Amino acid sequence: MTDNVYSTICPGCNFGCGLYIRENGTLEVDFRKSSPANAGKLCRFGMSLPKLYAPAKSVIDGKEVTLEDAAKEAAKRISAGSAAFLSFGNTTCEELVAFQKVAGSYLCTGANFEALPKDTYQTLSVGIPYSEIEAAKHIVLFIDPYEQYPLILRRLLSAKKKGAKITAVWWKSMPVASETIKPSDVSKLALTKDSLVIADFHPLSDSEQVKSVLALAKNAGARITFLKPFANSTGAYLLSKDAKQKSLAQLIDDINKGTIKTLFCLESDPSALIPSETLSKLTNLIIQTGQSSSAKANIVIAHEPLYKKKGTLINNEGRAQALGGAGTNGLDALGIIAGSKFEFNALHDSLKKAIGISAVDEFTIPKYDRPAYGAIQAAAKPPETKTALLSVYNPFMWFNLADDNDFVELNLNTAKALKLLKGGTLKIKSNGASIEKKFKVAPVQENVLITTRKFGIEKGMLTSVEISR
Amino acid sequence: MQKGEMYVGWSTKDDVRKRGGSGGLVTSMLAAALEKKFVDAVVVLKKINEFEAVPIITSDVNEVLNSAGSLHSVPSNFAKLIANRNLKVALPAKGCDVRGIIEQGKRNAINLDNTFIVGLNCGGSMHPVVTREMLEVMYKIKPEDVHGEEIEKGKLIFETKDGKEHAITIDELEEKGYGRRESCRYCTIKVPNNSDIACGNWGVTGDLVGKATFVEINSEKGAKLLQNAVDAGYVQVQKPDEKGVAMRAKIKGVMEDLGKKWKGKVFVPIENGRLEYFRKELEHCIDCGACKTVCPTCSCGDVSKCTEYHFRGDAYKMSMYHLVRFLHLADACIGCGQCSDVCPADIPLTRLYRRFANPVQEQLKYEPGMDMQKPPYFEVKLNE
Ligand SMILES: Cc1cc2nc3c(=O)[nH]c(=O)nc-3n(C[C@H](O)[C@H](O)[C@H](O)COP(=O)(O)OP(=O)(O)OC[C@H]3O[C@@H](n4cnc5c(N)ncnc54)[C@H](O)[C@@H]3O)c2cc1C
Ligand code: SF4
Ligand code: SF4
Ligand code: SF4
Ligand code: SF4
Repeated sequence: MTDNVYSTICPGCNFGCGLYIRENGTLEVDFRKSSPANAGKLCRFGMSLPKLYAPAKSVIDGKEVTLEDAAKEAAKRISAGSAAFLSFGNTTCEELVAFQKVAGSYLCTGANFEALPKDTYQTLSVGIPYSEIEAAKHIVLFIDPYEQYPLILRRLLSAKKKGAKITAVWWKSMPVASETIKPSDVSKLALTKDSLVIADFHPLSDSEQVKSVLALAKNAGARITFLKPFANSTGAYLLSKDAKQKSLAQLIDDINKGTIKTLFCLESDPSALIPSETLSKLTNLIIQTGQSSSAKANIVIAHEPLYKKKGTLINNEGRAQALGGAGTNGLDALGIIAGSKFEFNALHDSLKKAIGISAVDEFTIPKYDRPAYGAIQAAAKPPETKTALLSVYNPFMWFNLADDNDFVELNLNTAKALKLLKGGTLKIKSNGASIEKKFKVAPVQENVLITTRKFGIEKGMLTSVEISR
Repeated sequence: MQKGEMYVGWSTKDDVRKRGGSGGLVTSMLAAALEKKFVDAVVVLKKINEFEAVPIITSDVNEVLNSAGSLHSVPSNFAKLIANRNLKVALPAKGCDVRGIIEQGKRNAINLDNTFIVGLNCGGSMHPVVTREMLEVMYKIKPEDVHGEEIEKGKLIFETKDGKEHAITIDELEEKGYGRRESCRYCTIKVPNNSDIACGNWGVTGDLVGKATFVEINSEKGAKLLQNAVDAGYVQVQKPDEKGVAMRAKIKGVMEDLGKKWKGKVFVPIENGRLEYFRKELEHCIDCGACKTVCPTCSCGDVSKCTEYHFRGDAYKMSMYHLVRFLHLADACIGCGQCSDVCPADIPLTRLYRRFANPVQEQLKYEPGMDMQKPPYFEVKLNE
């Protein structure tokens, strides 16, 4: 008997938190205290990883098969044409390099780079080291650190201890920020060249909003860093810099039009981002994954979970970190689909070349070009003034994982005006749908409800709603 | 061999003796226990890098022999690792590991009759991330260049790959916020007499310094463990000299006094309202639950009062999770520091738990994890 303990990285977001997964009948999390991104500390999602890693089974049209057979059948169906390839970046750089070769002309990382100025690609792809956040004098948050990227919080607290001022442009006041500006009042935000803007970038980002934060930082000479939601978003973006990428909106459009009939998803649950009406129009949904997914796929190619894989992930800071596993059957499956075997070492070498390193060392962040970008015309609409439900995207949402979050947050005055009862519920209506939810009184702005859970009535990040007792 | 006896000993395997923290006796004793089927498994640390190792349970004698050496950074407490696994197991354990194991024993999650606890004297441990920063800021050396470390005469010494030694006093390091974890500074268990056998380098004298381990047998199980290792030819022992025994007792006393001094320094009275103090300290809690998972005296599984009474949608000034835990740990907290280590919001949790535990445990004259005395809260009977 020897325990199987894997030194690994949490896939919950692109923060790059190190941990151990111990196989002990059930899966257990242990703390990797020397991990440079997180000092071994994990957020609520990281602590829930044993729930995420429910094993998947290879399937063809509902029948359980071997990985090899599933991959062969996938190859056959893909070769019929009209196929698109989607990976948000929830897997190793080595797999992503192979994936690009498989994808050919229809690659989608989910990010909408097309709608953004070309010269912002690098800024959007790779963020600044967390140590620079800790050293900043003025930090401006366009995120909720507590819910979205929780391990950033201790860096912010450390900056604050050293005297940094923290401003949040958000719908709720948060204890870490000494100043909160309503998103609709963003014009009141005063930035200087000492400011550091922290925003996020993901498949559901509104491109106009992204442009407007980029412009704000540019105009003030402030630094800006983007956090991202997938384990290897940074790797995925850096590696596909020169590839022709389709946006998620384009992909959805093409599926709806019928020009894409087969969708191959690598370690990405499409049901988190693509409407089910759209997915149901596909002839073939093929999912290659290490954990069971809620999407109804025609073919599932089930390989080892991320923590057992061999390979490299790149976090928000651009830090390359090795996963502690030895598994390569994800690559083997991609090889079957490509029609020629992929060698791990060759893929690993091309990754190193792409980011200019000779070896992966988690304690040294590679040097990245951080080119300035040009002036940006931003035409972001000010957020709605009517009552809106704000969906705060967080790891549980991206992964469709259940959590103790079946409630909305609202302002005390709203609760009073609606005569809500303590311990009672609130009715929320939108587009003909109606739900009833528990509520929590919190320092959120009037006319905003906040949720960290997907209720099914949402239309994007802000959904216009009517509320009553 | 019997309870109360002291020895100085070492591994008969040269390489284990060399790699061992102070003579490799612990490693060899664990390996002999496994080899002679005294136990089915052993807990050892598997090295990940110079500053970190992960505890694993193994039945592989070679894996045990390879694990020799002391690591001054702190892995998760070993108690939770062996809880609810129904193992016949031997393991090394710092004072806080021993205390955690005993508390799990009281809660029926570990069968202590089947658990052979090899105690390690402990002057304190460090957080690896703090250690790396300390090396760069205080020692001006690259963490990658470190080859070994030791504590001698109040100094923390790092040896670099070029063979040079770099020493700074622990007092100076701690003044600057480095050095041992806060809980270790006021920890009072320096020689784990609550284990089956307590091992350390204090008390080793003369030529044997650095080459032998000083042991004190605390129980019959401890005597059997050592005798087995001697009989198996893994370990050689001799009686310690009087000077060594006296020296060990003296250092133990000095360290315990230092712990008490630190306790006074850390736990200054709260000035402006207790509720406000705790509320403020906890305001950044993100509800990750790591402080419960890691706590070596908590034996609840997924269903526990602190989580069942807690709903994230509640808007109490202090969450039920924390309230219940403060209450539950008042008699159980052993001050191991693990909760502070893992808190993603860097909340000084151990300090908060000890704010409840110090007065309660003093008043009830109860020190959890030191012996088999029942936790006072187990004895509480409510009137009808
Ligand atoms: C953090 C720490 C502080 C110490 N401080 C003192 C002290 O102040 N005074 C003193 O007399 N002795 C101290 N010791 C004990 C001493 O360093 C030796 O471990 C002891 O003398 C046994 O030596 P050995 O050669 O027989 O052990 P070895 O044969 O080297 O075996 C050591 C065993 O301890 C385990 N181990 C190593 N590091 C840790 C750790 N961090 N936590 C839990 N288990 C671990 C290893 O897996 C191995 O099984 C300390 C040990 C540690 C780990
Ligand atoms: S912050 Fe992100 S990477 Fe870190 S534990 Fe949470 S979800 Fe995982
Ligand atoms: S809490 Fe005590 S026994 Fe545990 S590592 Fe710190 S000093 Fe050692
Ligand atoms: S509350 Fe913290 S310090 Fe106390 S026993 Fe639990 S983990 Fe250790
Ligand atoms: S470890 Fe920290 S953040 Fe997590 S639940 Fe405990 S106090 Fe809260």
